[in-house]
Amino acid sequence: MSSRKQPKGKIRPPKKPNSADAQFNDNWDRLAQAIREIHKKNASILSFEELYRNAYNMVLHKNGDKLYNGVREVITQHLEEVAVSQVVPAFPLSGASSSQTNPNGAGGANFLKVLKTVWEDHTTCMLMIRDILMYMDRVYAKTANVPLVYDLGLDLFRDTIVRSQNYPIQNHLLEVLLQQIKLERENEIIDRTNVKASIDMLLELTDASTKDTVYATDFENKFLETSSEYYRVEGQMLVGEYDAPEYMKKVDKRLNEEEQRVRHYLSQTTEPKIRNIVEEELISKHLKTVIEMENSGLIPMLRNEKMDDLGRMYKLFGRVVKGHDEMKSAISDYIRELGKAINETVTSNTTAEGGNAASGDKQTGATVAVRWVQEVLDLKDKFDKVQNLALSNDKAFQTSFNEAFEYFINKNSKSPEFISLFIDDNLKKGLKGKTEEEVDSVLDKTITLFRFIGEKDVFERYYKQHLAKRLLLGRSVSDDAERGMIGKLKVECGYQFTTKLEGMFNDMRISSDTMTDFKEYLDKSVLEKPKLDLSVTVLTSTFWPMNLSASPRCNLPPELTKACGTFQNFYLGRHSGRRLTWQSNMGTADIRGSFKARKHELNVSTYQMVILLMFNDKQDGESLSYEQIKGESDIPEADLKRNLQSLACAKYKILVKEPKGKEINPGDQFNFNNDFTAPLQRIKIQTVASKVESEGERKETREKVEEARKHQTEAAIVRIMKDRKTMEHNLLIAEVVKQLQSRFMPNPALIKKRIEALIEREYLERATGDRRVYNYLA
Amino acid sequence: YGGLLRDILLMLNNADDYDVIIQVGKNQNIKEFRAHSNILRARSKYFKTALSENWIAKKNNLIEFKKPNISPDIFDIILKYIYTGKIRLTDESGEDILGLIVAFKEFLFNDILIYLEDCM
Repeated sequence: MSSRKQPKGKIRPPKKPNSADAQFNDNWDRLAQAIREIHKKNASILSFEELYRNAYNMVLHKNGDKLYNGVREVITQHLEEVAVSQVVPAFPLSGASSSQTNPNGAGGANFLKVLKTVWEDHTTCMLMIRDILMYMDRVYAKTANVPLVYDLGLDLFRDTIVRSQNYPIQNHLLEVLLQQIKLERENEIIDRTNVKASIDMLLELTDASTKDTVYATDFENKFLETSSEYYRVEGQMLVGEYDAPEYMKKVDKRLNEEEQRVRHYLSQTTEPKIRNIVEEELISKHLKTVIEMENSGLIPMLRNEKMDDLGRMYKLFGRVVKGHDEMKSAISDYIRELGKAINETVTSNTTAEGGNAASGDKQTGATVAVRWVQEVLDLKDKFDKVQNLALSNDKAFQTSFNEAFEYFINKNSKSPEFISLFIDDNLKKGLKGKTEEEVDSVLDKTITLFRFIGEKDVFERYYKQHLAKRLLLGRSVSDDAERGMIGKLKVECGYQFTTKLEGMFNDMRISSDTMTDFKEYLDKSVLEKPKLDLSVTVLTSTFWPMNLSASPRCNLPPELTKACGTFQNFYLGRHSGRRLTWQSNMGTADIRGSFKARKHELNVSTYQMVILLMFNDKQDGESLSYEQIKGESDIPEADLKRNLQSLACAKYKILVKEPKGKEINPGDQFNFNNDFTAPLQRIKIQTVASKVESEGERKETREKVEEARKHQTEAAIVRIMKDRKTMEHNLLIAEVVKQLQSRFMPNPALIKKRIEALIEREYLERATGDRRVYNYLA
Repeated sequence: YGGLLRDILLMLNNADDYDVIIQVGKNQNIKEFRAHSNILRARSKYFKTALSENWIAKKNNLIEFKKPNISPDIFDIILKYIYTGKIRLTDESGEDILGLIVAFKEFLFNDILIYLEDCM
């Protein structure tokens, strides 16, 4: 109708509504018809200008609500038709879940394809409807506070199709989607485009009450529930059928697949949720089972160094809360177990040797120590490799491994001694044929073991003993190597730990200078020169491990006594106020022996020299009894027996003993062995090598260590109290422990005893008001 | 009009590269305007939709658009406004301004309406 506007509309009032109604009806009929044409895909015959103008006129004349409701009705009607004529006929035959009648979910796939078309048609139409109703959107929808027409279309599609009250479209849709996903999980090829189209559709629709997407409200939870159930069953099946590496590969694959699935056709918001489900069902629930799988679990992987499998387990199990903890504790237990085995071989070896220890197989003791350290180092290497190659150098694992090593290393009470012996073995001259770099790298590793030792003070004591022997017997491989090792210890424990060790080196250097000076002094002197070359090493008594204050008894031959006197005069002349004590038990001598066949140069200990020189005054065949030698030399009995043993019972028999035998007993007779022969001209009579201590020695060392600890504890208490003046008992204990734990772990009872001793000696007092508080007395 | 506006207006008046013919008015009062679709689309939401792929009708490679409910005089003002962003109202009668307002409303030029309503 193209009726002209009535001029001056108020002339005929009753006619106005009629005219406006007619105008409205005309406008609306055209629009409704146009929307139907759009639905029929006939839009090309329509004029945008005219339709827009119709809608504009309706809104302009306050008929916006009628227009809006009319549009809603037309679209709803259309969608109802679509539901009946297109969607319902496409329902999969006997339910989506029946794969018997529906092989590979073809019916389902077809259903999704139909829905895809329906959805695409709907959105295309809605865009065109939005175009012609632009004026309504801009002017009416805004003021009336109703959804824009496109959003209205989405809501209608949601309520008429997706959540239709009349047809079970929603059930079918969800079932088909879940079925398609299930098929894909079972390695069927599905058409992802159709699935994606439906998912995108659900993502575009909004749930009116939650304001969330229909995807989230209708689909996601069902998807997660079925996935949970699916992987629960699969998890049980997989652990039953596969070994650990295969299991982990399957899980890896599943995680990957689910991630891909989300990326391809689900919402990104689902990604963490489905990941959690797979992780929970396939990892968390079977952690222990997989770790403990016989022949393929964590321990077999470690045993066979399956770095790839271990790395996979690390990555995979790291996804869940308890994963790494379980791995850590399993590996730690394994380390402890292996450590225990290493400790046991050592104890069984030493007890086996206990029987013939006295017979003087001196090498074996050290060998046990070296082997123990080597085995521990090998174990450390193995787990360093695991840490490095499979565990991404995870600090938490490192800490837990270290604790395990610390545990079993300290279970072996001899470990400080063993480690020191091992270092001794490596620093001894020409034993290994190793390059300096190789030795250095071994020592570096040894330092890592040293770190694990709780009783570092015990180690220090042994180290000093072994170092003393290396220095005095001239067996150190090189000064550089020794200093390098001390440097490493210094880095670990600070300078207090190494000052005494460095003092020992200084004594060696100063002694060598002193000897040069002594030779010069002798050359210039008018005195009678000694008949022998004397080499003296002056040791500062506080640096060296031996008890240097008491001079061991021994009657030296007159020539030697005289030479010693000369040196003593020379030395004390330069350093007044010092006292020299001769340690004849630690010296060596080169002497020339004339035998029937030839002359040999013998390198012997000072004691052995004293013994051998006694035979100078004897006729051939004249023997000396054990008692004679003992009486004349005054050498302590234990030392005498050992030295006689090495002269008469070892490889080079300079003396002949009657009766024959490995042991020295009172009443034995000794003869000079004139018939002695040896291929070499120069012979070294084996000196006592470093070895594992005997039980008696160990007890003695232990007592010395305990004594030293008392002093250190007292020193620490005094130091702290001097600083704080007054302190509560528990705080003081804690502080003392803190200060001492780098050397040893003091027990509170020990500290308490020391506090009491200090109170007795009036360094401290108990506070008058509170007996738990101490005051420092200046 | 000076500078840029003058040049752009020249583009409208002497258009030889136009691609839209707009037939405005009805009965005897009909006039054809030549214009550039890209400028129309850029300046007006209405034309952006009206000249979109879904709705255009072409003849001899030219887009044809009919606007019967507006008089050519008013459309001339609107078109100039589209091209330049300016309106000249010096000799417009009150009735024409009313027609102008209604037309601007239809084209969804909301910002200019406040100014025009002030003129009344």
